[in-house]
Amino acid sequence: QEFRFGSCRAKGVDLQELWEAFWAVKDAVQAQDNITSARLLRREVLQDVSDAESCHLIQALLKFYLNTVFKHYYKRTVEFRTLKSFSTLANNFIAIKSQLRPSQENEMFPVTERARGRFLLFQRAFRRLDREAAVTKAFGEVDILLTWMERFYRL
Amino acid sequence: PCVSGGLPKPTNVTFLSINMKNILQWNPPEGLQGIEVTYTVQYFIYGQKKWLNKSECSNISRTYCDLSAETSDYEHQYYAKVKAIWEANCSKWAETGRFYPFLETQIGPPEVALTTEEKSISIVLTAPEKWKRNPEDSSVSMQQIYSNLKYNVSICNTKSNRMWSQCVTNHTLVLTWLEPNTLYCVHVASFVPGPPRPARPSEKQCVRTLKDQSSEFKVK
Repeated sequence: QEFRFGSCRAKGVDLQELWEAFWAVKDAVQAQDNITSARLLRREVLQDVSDAESCHLIQALLKFYLNTVFKHYYKRTVEFRTLKSFSTLANNFIAIKSQLRPSQENEMFPVTERARGRFLLFQRAFRRLDREAAVTKAFGEVDILLTWMERFYRL
Repeated sequence: PCVSGGLPKPTNVTFLSINMKNILQWNPPEGLQGIEVTYTVQYFIYGQKKWLNKSECSNISRTYCDLSAETSDYEHQYYAKVKAIWEANCSKWAETGRFYPFLETQIGPPEVALTTEEKSISIVLTAPEKWKRNPEDSSVSMQQIYSNLKYNVSICNTKSNRMWSQCVTNHTLVLTWLEPNTLYCVHVASFVPGPPRPARPSEKQCVRTLKDQSSEFKVK
């Protein structure tokens, strides 16, 4: 079983484990998100992503989740008893990200620009919100992210 | 407008979703037995701005509301809420959690067709159909929505009481090396890898394998 984001491969990750980890905290985490009128991973971010774009986009999203979302959400995991699920998700995101090798060749520039544009849509929506609220919302949208990632998963 | 908070809220407001047929259901407020309470429902698309009315579910006395049409874009996520009304009083809104049809709808059982031989049973499975707005609309199989749809086939030999199950992805399965002239019972549940979903197995169906033709000739 592995993820195939275009030419990128990420092995040794059990997607079912990620689902179960998130599902265990979904209701608690999403209940903390009171800004229901904003969605970070909107359709325009993830719809019709080409294989070639997918590796660039997933690398940017996982990097953001690890360096911003999880980093700031960590101190709340004890309070909301989500540490176990949080660790499973974070460690598996690290495992995936560490295996991604997106192509840097010149002719890929239009592709990387499209992927970057999608990521910027997400990041701008995140930055429009208060930091704490944005971190909670992003963590609550991991189901949207996993649903998109599942399209690139091969058993 | 009514006096908000004058009544207790409805409780257990949840979506019951099977094959994308999404029914909002709730329990009446506690302590109001014998009072003719009515209910009003609204729904909300996550990421958008306004709560929306469902006119067929305004001032209703039943405790459920079919929101399948309103929640049919299964890549969206939704909220719904309901309040109780009695005369000039009404409750505060009671709200669901975030509902994601694509991940939360239960996958109904397949249709199961069985044919028997002496020592084998052939099983043909037909994936359940997605809810459709109008009966005359063309059917969409849940297989088209979930390409990774699988089936858990459970079999029981009623003579030996031996039970076993098999997970299959395609729609035909032949059970071999069975005992002749024996009643076997089968039921099948659909499932999709991913978030946990309650399973809804098919009705149990029982068929008898044919008699062993060779032993028949010996007797003669």
